[in-house]
Amino acid sequence: MNLARALLWKDLVSEWRSRDRLVAMVVFSFLVVVVFQFAWPKMRPEEMTRLAPGVLWVTYLFAAVIGLGRTFAMELENDAMTALALAPGTRGWIFLGKATATWILISAVQAITAFVFALFFRQDLWTGAAGIALVAGLANVAICSVGTLLSAMSVRSRFRDVLLPVLLIPTLIPVLAAATRATAGPLAGEAPPWAALQPLIVISGVYLVLCFLLFDFVLDE
Amino acid sequence: MSQSSSSSDPIQRTRQVLGWIMLLLVPVYAWTVARAPIDAVQGVMQRILYVHPPLAYGAYLGFVATAIGGALFLWRGDERHDQLAIAGAEVGTLFCTLMLVTGPIWARGAWGPGNWWVWDARLTLTLLLWFVYLAYLLLRSFTEGDERTARFASIYGILGVLLIPLNYWILDLVGSAMHPDNIDFRGEDKSLGEGMGLPFLVGNLTLFFAFAYLLVLRWLVGVLRADKELQASVDR
Repeated sequence: MNLARALLWKDLVSEWRSRDRLVAMVVFSFLVVVVFQFAWPKMRPEEMTRLAPGVLWVTYLFAAVIGLGRTFAMELENDAMTALALAPGTRGWIFLGKATATWILISAVQAITAFVFALFFRQDLWTGAAGIALVAGLANVAICSVGTLLSAMSVRSRFRDVLLPVLLIPTLIPVLAAATRATAGPLAGEAPPWAALQPLIVISGVYLVLCFLLFDFVLDE
Repeated sequence: MSQSSSSSDPIQRTRQVLGWIMLLLVPVYAWTVARAPIDAVQGVMQRILYVHPPLAYGAYLGFVATAIGGALFLWRGDERHDQLAIAGAEVGTLFCTLMLVTGPIWARGAWGPGNWWVWDARLTLTLLLWFVYLAYLLLRSFTEGDERTARFASIYGILGVLLIPLNYWILDLVGSAMHPDNIDFRGEDKSLGEGMGLPFLVGNLTLFFAFAYLLVLRWLVGVLRADKELQASVDR
């Protein structure tokens, strides 16, 4: 547990000092939002509201992939990966520390993106902000769990920038599908539908536990 | 007898038994399909039914073999289990690809030009499964070091098999269903026409055993190759 806390603190402090990942992810998210504007035909505001959850989650997913790609990249310097592998205690705590730091980072980027999205596309995100935050918070648990595990694997592979999305996106399709459906409720001024929230809770829980256990095998002996 | 041949003996024997079963089943399969009546509405295109649904065994069981092989490898560290995982992924990819190819051919034939694809729940699930298989194989080819590759692939194989029920659940929520729920052989409104039940049943058996045979054959090749490499490194 101390290991998780130490890594969380280390990751957050180093991110705060450099702000590399944060800036890159925010700029990337803005770009994706703008790209959508150019990609779709002219439409009425209510049509846009129907598309909004999908656009928002595609943006969130791509931004998360960018951020997750860097999760373990800094540990490659000075062979810090080996030091992590040598750390005493269950390796799952390393995973938990890293995943929590990424969860905080991704959530912050999503909040900023949502603000810009609401502004550009004239969507009222404020009324359902609590609902959207709940959905995003849950979905981010799944995204950060699988993402951290796969990032630790892909960072030591060839073509790591291509490999991570190829590995990650198929595993996140159920999360994306449930999150998009769950976000539609708050965007229409309602609570997130339970039918979509339920799988999100289960998937996040399953991924978190499974990745915690499997992370033991990711680091080299 | 050398170490290498003894470790692959049970797999070799299983392959021989499955080979004999295949030898018996294939002519029966061909004969029953050839004698099956031609569908009044769909014509000869309906015969894809004797190939397309039975391919699902291989596509799904391949994943199960990959996950079991992977889990056993992580637990015991025995390379033979990793070879089972590779065999499951490769043969599973083959069956999954054939399933994805035969489905649209039938759809185009039955529904007319332009109707190659619909986002039906099972179809989408199979497509997602296929992407996971491809990702698994890419992970294997992009990771360096034999032991590390096996370890990473095992982890992804376990994640992949878990995705089947998760996706199934989600697609039930999201997608529309086009495939029939279950094929009904009995009762007044049975879903298969007169004389179509037998070739369908034999098709299911044949393709199940074809999957099992190919899986064991690929596993055997992997184990023999690994044994040979080990022998060569010992000799050096």
